[in-house]
Amino acid sequence: MSHEMMGYNAAMGLALVEEMRRDDSIFILGQGVATGGWFGAEKGLASEFGTDRVIDCGISEAFEAGLAAGASIAGMKPVVNMGFGDFALIAGDEIYHKLAKWRYMHGLDVPMHAVIIFPIGTMGGAGPEHSSCTEVLGMHFPGLKVVVPSNAEDAKGLMKAALREPNPVLFHSVQGLGWSRGDVPLDPEFIVPIGKAAIKRPGTSLSIITYGSMVPRSLEAAEALAGEGIDAEVIDLRSLVPLDWDCVLSSVSRTHRAMVVHEAAKTAGPGAEIAAQIQERIFFDLEAPVMRLGARDFPLAQHADLEALAIPSVDAIAAMARELAAI
Amino acid sequence: MSSLSSDKLETMFYRMALARSIERLIQKHTREHKFSGWWHPGEGQEAAPIGATAALEDDDYLWYQGRGSAWALGKGMKPGPILGDLLGKMNGATRGKGGGVPHWADYSIGVMGEGATLGSVYPLAGGSALASKIRKDGRVSLANFGDGTTARGTFHETMMHAAAWKLPLIYFCENNGLLVGTRLSDVSPTTNIADFAAGYHIPGVTVDGQDTVAVYEATREAVARARAGEGPTLIEAKVVRRRGHYSGDPQNYRSESEFDDYRDPLDVHALLLGGNTAARLLEEAEADVKAAYDEAMAAPSPDASVIERDLYHVA
Repeated sequence: MSHEMMGYNAAMGLALVEEMRRDDSIFILGQGVATGGWFGAEKGLASEFGTDRVIDCGISEAFEAGLAAGASIAGMKPVVNMGFGDFALIAGDEIYHKLAKWRYMHGLDVPMHAVIIFPIGTMGGAGPEHSSCTEVLGMHFPGLKVVVPSNAEDAKGLMKAALREPNPVLFHSVQGLGWSRGDVPLDPEFIVPIGKAAIKRPGTSLSIITYGSMVPRSLEAAEALAGEGIDAEVIDLRSLVPLDWDCVLSSVSRTHRAMVVHEAAKTAGPGAEIAAQIQERIFFDLEAPVMRLGARDFPLAQHADLEALAIPSVDAIAAMARELAAI
Repeated sequence: MSSLSSDKLETMFYRMALARSIERLIQKHTREHKFSGWWHPGEGQEAAPIGATAALEDDDYLWYQGRGSAWALGKGMKPGPILGDLLGKMNGATRGKGGGVPHWADYSIGVMGEGATLGSVYPLAGGSALASKIRKDGRVSLANFGDGTTARGTFHETMMHAAAWKLPLIYFCENNGLLVGTRLSDVSPTTNIADFAAGYHIPGVTVDGQDTVAVYEATREAVARARAGEGPTLIEAKVVRRRGHYSGDPQNYRSESEFDDYRDPLDVHALLLGGNTAARLLEEAEADVKAAYDEAMAAPSPDASVIERDLYHVA
């Protein structure tokens, strides 16, 4: 089957088109989706599927997420583009109570399809309320699945998996990767399963456990380190719920050193959980403490230079890896 | 005169009587500390739910609020799963997870459930109504709520869109004038919830919430409009909250004189039934509730495996 070079958001859009052709019960709503979407993922959907299935909403995130929950409970497969991960907080009750808990609290073993798209992370000066990485919230409320693709191929494959998943999925697209292009399979059955990590670069000296925007940066750091005799393994988690612990733990058991890198704020970020579990579960395989690198604990400035200083750089990742390798 | 047959009037009374009987049983248990105490009593408020649900079909969607059991019973749930749930038994609607704030659901008869964050069902009901519009399945969604939750943003967000999109949605408010212990008049520019309808350019109807037939007629008209593609209706039933916000609420904020004009909805409805029918149906309902209670008491309590159940669905 052939491939095509395309952008990250276009790859998400391709998954949407393919699945909407396949399944009449999928519909998409959000602000501006009928006119192409804020980041272009929904471009062309309305002309093919009509405004009954590609629905523009007012500025009302709680309504949009609640609408998705209700339609999902009624047997449809809604997709909502929330515009920004920060807006998860406006729709907190609808996402973290209703989508996450409805089936559980009513004691029902029934499918509940819903995909909420949260564009996350910095994109060069979008400001403190448009740049947060909110994926840790989904990890904290059981009942949701949480994915973060780091490249165009996974953006397509994970979106397809999310659209077929009988559980609510928080799909975090990475704003900083919007420019990135990749070789995307055109096979309509190409799926990246939820809960399966990828070893993007095998290595023996230490394990860099990462996802999203920090995957390309970690790979770049690993290449720099290779010239210094540090052979870093880079794991792209792809899904945070469920998290591929087998992949993470077996990697760290081999390399004996681990660091977690993410764009989300360091304090109580996803890395806190990952580091804690590694230490709980395979403490005696470790030769050094598990280290964490995340955004500094400040709201992100509007100024693009300050923003860039707040999140992990390639140099910062390499520096931490050197420190870890030296222990 | 109403279009209700005598059979239907009897079914409605029987279901009111079931609700009343369950209410009394739960309150007795709460006083005896055999029950968790999270119950929000709906005693005396049975006419609104029974009248409204009588106008719905089995496959219409009901999103209820938690005060009382009459909404679920009106839609056709049996006392067994309700009592099993309230007593925290495995035969309950939530399969052992319940015990006070009710989360009864039975999708086969359109009982979709309740969220415990008050007023949270607005967008959910909007979602099922949108699903019906997309599927063209002819179903109507009814969102039931109390007057207090009209302060929620989603009250407005959902109705604004539902009115624009002409969704088959009915907003059904039980207006008892109280939000926990606060008077509605202290926090709202109007105590007539139906007034809000004007802003959405939809019909707003106020009915006597102690009168099942009045409620039924208003809901029937709203259902007909919704099915005809004419969009949402806001119905406000003026009701009396006979008991506290929760079952142990001392209600220091109320005076006895509030109940001077109180009419018991069961008495109002009984006048529509001939002979000793009401007495017979009351007796039947009590016996059925007693049987369901005995069955629930004999049912097993949840074991630890229940904690892990229903979190994720495996296709």
